[in-house]
Formats: sequence, C-alpha cells, structure tokens
Amino acid sequence: MAYQLSRRSFLKGLAAGGALTALTAYGGLKMAPTAAGVADGYPEAAAGARVFRNVCPRNCYDTCSMLSYVKDGILRKVSGDPANTFTNGRLCVKGYTYTRRVYSPDRLKYPMKQDKRGSGRWQRISWDEALDIIARKILDIKKQYGSTLPVCLNKYSGNFDILHYGIEGMMSSIGYTTRALGTPCWPAGIDAQTYDFGTLWNNDPEDLVNSRYIILWGVNPAWTSVHSMRFLYAAREKGAKLVVIDPVVTQTASKADLYLQIKPATDGALALGMARHILDNGWVDQEYLKANAVGWEEFFAYLRREVTLDWASKVTGIPAGVIADLAREYATTKPAAIWIGYGLQRHTNGGQNVRAIDALAAITGNVGKSGGGALYGHLETWGFNYAAMTMPKPAGALGVKKPDGTMSDRFININNFGAELLNVKDPPVKMLWIACRNPLSQDPEPQVVQKAFENMDLVVTVDHFLTRTAAWSDIVLPATTQFEEYGVNASYWHYWVGINEQAIEPYFEAKNDVQIAMLLSAKLNALEPGSCTYPTGGSLEELVGKEFNQKMLDLLGIADYRELKQGPRKAKLLTAAWSDGKFRTPSGKIEIKSSEAPKYGLPALPVYVPEKQAPPEYPYRFITPHWRHGLHSQFQNIDWMMNVSPEPFVEIHPATAAAKGIRDGDWVKIYNEIGYLTLKARITATTAPEILVAYEAWYKDLDYNLNYTVKAVPSDMGKKATGNRGLAFHDNFVNIEKVR
Amino acid sequence: MKQLAFWLRPERCVGCRNCQLACKNEHRTAARINWRRVQEGEDNDRRYFISLACNHCRNPECFRVCPEKAYWKRRDGVVLHLPRRCQGCQACVRACPYQAPRYNPETRKAEKCDFCHKRLDQGLPPACVAACPTGALGIVAWSEDLGEAPYAGWPGFLPDPALTRPSLQFTREKRGRHFLQQG
Repeated sequence: MAYQLSRRSFLKGLAAGGALTALTAYGGLKMAPTAAGVADGYPEAAAGARVFRNVCPRNCYDTCSMLSYVKDGILRKVSGDPANTFTNGRLCVKGYTYTRRVYSPDRLKYPMKQDKRGSGRWQRISWDEALDIIARKILDIKKQYGSTLPVCLNKYSGNFDILHYGIEGMMSSIGYTTRALGTPCWPAGIDAQTYDFGTLWNNDPEDLVNSRYIILWGVNPAWTSVHSMRFLYAAREKGAKLVVIDPVVTQTASKADLYLQIKPATDGALALGMARHILDNGWVDQEYLKANAVGWEEFFAYLRREVTLDWASKVTGIPAGVIADLAREYATTKPAAIWIGYGLQRHTNGGQNVRAIDALAAITGNVGKSGGGALYGHLETWGFNYAAMTMPKPAGALGVKKPDGTMSDRFININNFGAELLNVKDPPVKMLWIACRNPLSQDPEPQVVQKAFENMDLVVTVDHFLTRTAAWSDIVLPATTQFEEYGVNASYWHYWVGINEQAIEPYFEAKNDVQIAMLLSAKLNALEPGSCTYPTGGSLEELVGKEFNQKMLDLLGIADYRELKQGPRKAKLLTAAWSDGKFRTPSGKIEIKSSEAPKYGLPALPVYVPEKQAPPEYPYRFITPHWRHGLHSQFQNIDWMMNVSPEPFVEIHPATAAAKGIRDGDWVKIYNEIGYLTLKARITATTAPEILVAYEAWYKDLDYNLNYTVKAVPSDMGKKATGNRGLAFHDNFVNIEKVR
Repeated sequence: MKQLAFWLRPERCVGCRNCQLACKNEHRTAARINWRRVQEGEDNDRRYFISLACNHCRNPECFRVCPEKAYWKRRDGVVLHLPRRCQGCQACVRACPYQAPRYNPETRKAEKCDFCHKRLDQGLPPACVAACPTGALGIVAWSEDLGEAPYAGWPGFLPDPALTRPSLQFTREKRGRHFLQQG
C-alpha cells in the first residue's frame, strides 16, 4: 500500500469481496505528536508553516485540542490535535470554520461608539477614548451612589478559557458590583447529582467503550459531542447495545439499536417504573447498596407503594412491556452506563428526574464501575487558582452588608436577568458590562432584557461580532479569538487539559479580556489614583502560569505548566468516578434519600414530580435544542455555515401539519402570550405530534430569535451548587398557524 | 489498474458535516462552492445522510467532454482538473451526473475535489476522511476491476453507476428498532 495509514483500521471482509483494501482514518491515524513550531500534516508547508497548540474554548462537552497552522502570520488552517485521545485529531463542523471566523469580514475591528442605542449609527473610536468614557462613567457612578454596585457584569460561557475569569477580576478590582449569578445550562442536573453523590463527576467518556449497555438519555452527541460517537460505536462493535431515550428522534436516536420516544419531562417516571420492575425481579445489587448508599429502603417502600409499570407506561407513553424489557436489559447487562443529557433537566421537574435516573444506576450497582455510571458532567479538572479572577477591593469600597458585618457583591439571577435588572433598587443598576455572553439572543424573554437596557446610562459589550446584544450597546470592544491570546482550558466531560498558545497577532485592534482589564485599570488610576486594583502589566502567558497549583500539576503529571506546550495532558483521575466509594455527600454515601434536598424545599426521595402540562390555548410544546451548525449564538453566522444552512426552520409532525393545513416550506407563525416568531415549516416524523422543534442560533442578517417565546420559568434545582435555579427552557408552550 | 475510491457506510453517518467543512478548511474554497456536500434525506422517522464529492470515475465524463483536455487521471485513479488549461466553458459542469465540478465565477474556471492528492502523496488520508469522527467515510483501494460488485449497496436515488463507473462504494449495516408515541 502506498499510503501509510493505521493498520488497526484495516478492515476485512467487505461486501464486494477480498480484492479491496480499506483505508480509513477511523480509529486513529497514527501521527507523531507535533511540537510547536514544526509543520506536520500540512502538505504545502514544506514552505514553513508553524504549528501551534490551541484549545477550542466554547461551551462544549468536547473542548477540542487543536493545532493551528500559521504562515506569514496568517492562520491558514486548523486541525484536531491527535495527542488528545478523546478528540482524536478531529474537530467538529464548527471548529473547521475557525479560519473564516477569525478573518470574517463581519468581525469587530475597532472600539466603536453608538450614537443612540439601537440606531446603528456607529463611530470608530480609539481604545483610549473608549476606556475614558467607561472609566469616567464608573467614577461618576461611584460618586453619585457611594459605591460601584450600579455597575453590573453579565458574563458566562462564550469563552471558558480560565484567563477569561479575569473579567470577574476586573469587576472585583473596582469595588463591589452587581453580578449576574448562576448558569442557564445545566444547574438542575448539577444539584441533583450533588444531592445524590456530593457533586457531579462522570466516568472518563473514553471508558464508554467498556460498557455493555448504554442508555443515552436526553442527549444528542451526534450534534453536541460528536467525538463521543466514536466511543459509543466502539462499544457497540464490542457487543454493547445503544439505547436512546428522547422525545425527538434525534440524529443519535436514528443510530440507536433501540429508540424510545418518551413524552417530554416524564423521564423520572420511566426511571422509577424501571426501578420498580428491577426491585420486583430481584435484580437489585443489595451488596452495593449496603456498602455505598443510604435511604434505599425508603425508596423501595415508595416504589412498592406508588409506582407500577402501568403507571409509568401511562405517564411516559412507552408500552409497559418495552419498559420491562429495558429494565431487565439494563439491570442484567453489566456494566451498563447512562449518559444523562442536559435536555432532560430543562424542565420544572428536571432535577427530580435526574435524581430518579441516578437512583436507577445506584440500585443496580452501576455507580463507581468502569463501563457503568450515571454520567452527567464533571468539574474535577477545573481546580485552577483563578488568579485572574481573584482581586482585592480598592480601599474604602462599599458593597452589600452581610449579617456578619462583612460586605459582598450584589447578586441577581442570570436566568431572569431582564426582570431582575428592572427590579433591583438602592442603588439601581446603571451600567452594564457584557462579555462572553449574548443575552439579547440567548436569554429567555429577551424583550424584557432589552427593556431593562433602557434604564442604563452605559452598556459596554466585548465580542467578536456585532451580536444582537452588541448592536444594542453604547460601546463595543473587539475581543481576540483563542488564536490571538494565551489561555488554558479544561472540559466538563473528558479529562484532558490543554494550553492555548498565541498563534497569530490580534485581529486589527482586538484585545483579550484581561488586557482590557489592565488598560481600564490604568485609565481609572490615572483619573482617580487607587480606584482600581487590577494589575496594569504582565504577559498573558505568565498569567496562565499563575493559574496552576501543585494539585493541578500533579493531576496532569507535570512539573511545570510549560510542559503542556508539548501537548495536552489527561488528568490522572479515577477512570470510573466514585470507584473509591468516597461520596461527597454529608453521609459519605450515595444519598438516595437526600439529607440536603429538603433544606431547599425539595423531596428527600427521588419521587415523581408531575411534568408541566400544556395549557389549552397553547397546546404545543416548543422544544429548542442546540443546533448542529452552531453553539448558542456562535458559528451559524459564519459565511461557510450560512452556506451549509442558510435559514432556520421549525420541525412539525405530519399529523400536526395536516391538522393545521401546513405544507413543507410554508411560512408559519409560532406564538404564545409573550412573543412570536415567523419561520419556515419542515414537515418531519422525527418529532412528535404535540412537539414543535426549532434550534437556537444566530443567523447572519436574519431576524430569528426563538427566545421571544421562551418565558423565564425556573427549573426545580440549581440553587445549592450554582446559586440560582436553572431554566425550564423545554417547558415552553406555543400555538402555531400558517401565515396567510 | 489500481483505483482509489471513497467508501460510505451511511448507517454510521450522523450528518455532522465534518467532511464538508474540513474540505473547505483544507482547500479554502469560496463560501458557496463545496467540493464535498452532505445530502440529507428522511426515511420514515429517520434522517440519513450521504456525503458526496467527486467520484473519480473509471469513465470520467468530465475527462471525455472537456475540449481543453483540462482533466487527467492519475495511475491511482484520482481524476485531477488543471486550472491553467480550463477556459471555463462548463462542459464538465453540465456533463457530470454527480455535479462534482463547480463553476467559480471569480476565477471563471471549473474546480472540484482533487482527492487531497498532495496529502495522499505524503501518506495522509484526504482531509474529509481524516475529519470523519464515526468511520462513515473512508477510502478503499480497488486493486483490480471489480465489475459491478462495488455497486451492490448503491442507493437508488443516485445516478446509475453504469454511466461513468464512479469510484464510490456503499456498505449497508443493520438498523435498530424504534418505539414512537402514538399520535
């Protein structure tokens, strides 16, 4: 063979007979680890391309280790870094657009000032002028209100690089401020796992290959964690069965050995029905429970008293016989893993449903086992110093007085941001700083957020593009991409940690968030000495070094952070989470009966809490999952992506479409009491009759925002671990009509 | 004669379009020009995908119709287009049953998938294949003329392979069971 490909992937016995040679890169092309500065895998580069290590810092399971290829100072190409065995030398459809994202003609190049908010009359200004306006506003606010509490920060997941926590540090360095607190994405499930196990901690996803039975429950890795598919397929090739449970026939569901279309938000009932059947048939792992869990006797009493297969079937819409089969297979095929997605916890009973699934894993003894687990996510590799975030307050700073006499920042709920901004008083919020975030696109009730903007004296947004939020700001500041800055990144799914090297010079006048903080500090101190404690110098690479402590270094098996320039490292964690049996609950055991949950007004046991029902006037549930070609409001606006998917659509079941007289391609209006959107219909049997599906995204030049219909309804959990409850994004009800 | 061919296992494909975008990342094609395209279909309640590029046919129609002799076929079967000879007449664009050659109005020439021949010559798989996370897209080397055998799994909606004898092979696999809500 002329092509030096991996022999591991040599496949025999093809349909057309033995005269074929299969050459596929699947399963791992063997490439030597690439050191920075050396060109590899880049044919043109005989000609001197340099290769740098980067990490995709977006809010994503996969957090890809990347290589970037730079020639003449230009980012020519990107690829996956084969040194990371999880992402395995591949990116995703979004990652392959990065050269176009970096050099998009739509990227913000300079600081700009808008004449009147929303007018579109922008004027280029210098960094000095921008910072002068901002610094004077901060100092004016401090003079007028006696504190910096009227300055509010809304920052979250647009870039999860650790140095970007410097934005929070910048806020701390000017005094006590108002902060949007919480996470919109996954807090109900985090709390559920915190009540049950003490925290969230999934098995190494690369360990999924050791599973013999895998339930993908409310998760669609084909779109949202594409590198996980390789491990799922590998497990299947070794004989594992892949089961998908989802209200929508997702792309992952299309690939499953068994797919169950469940009624939305009834996942807990399915888990409990399975648990009852397992209990009745003596498939409970008593030994494991005795050694590792508390409260299971009461859980079993609840199951016997209130749960039957028929009840579970009625609630979930899944035939009782199918539930019984699923329960038998799951309980008797070991090890069996359940991957609990974030979709199923975006409900008013979402956390409770996760707790029921956790209990199912516990009673079958699948927790703490290689190939087993109730996998949700983890933060075990996030133990950095957060040095960029930790800043002292300037002398004399005043904040919110706590009962113990100390002071703190003022926290408002990130998941009801608009309403809380409008309500907060004494002092009101007068200035907003928005970074790594696009609330006018991604928040529920963005119309309320926009209304709250009216009360602001100054709105500053730091971003790559003129997003919906940036377009409604007074000042926009251009941010660097990861290729233009140093950083360090961990994943909340796999166990790898990688350093992000600066590969190219910043695009025009773009700056990193930490550099912006330094410049603002210099400006503030020039205007009023001592008003800001943020350092005004130091390289980003040095700051990356300061994020590492001995525990992190030990976890990664390195002596110095610079070793990460030779490649990302996999944390030396237990392969199977909780295999040491050291649960972090108050009892040190799995708390099937939680001692903490009642303190937050929640049931101690994972009992079923009924799902939210559609009101008669809005009979359709409007599910708005992540989009294949975007990550929240990122990526879909890039020209390469607009070419692949030029316009949004709503998926409608053929029965519903027929009842409403809607044909494929018709324009339809989706509406409820708070808002509406108009878009094209796609008729498909991949959804259910009572469910409409559209995907959240920000399209270039299109007025598409499905959050206009989404109310800020909280999910049941999130308060304990993340400060605020999550959002019941998928308990959103609408009606639909054809646009005439 | 050897013939390199693309190899599709549609039951593994999740339609992620890594292949399509990795191709653009490699070749920096214009936004509207895709050397590789993922086509989407629906079979009852399941979405399926077919990733197609140039099929580097045994009997390439582009090669036959080009008045400028801007196409040539390598010894490994890869069909290459020579832009310096191309006059942009688009005879190939019209002739190809798989719409592989694309006309670029900026260069006023046709262009198409070159099987990443520069990567092949370095022992690397094509960018699309290297990017596939599921093993749905691979390459095979047909070491002799296999007649109709490689077309055993050929999907009916694609043009008849007898026309140009495309170097594209399908392997079909078993699918799972679905239990749907009764609506």
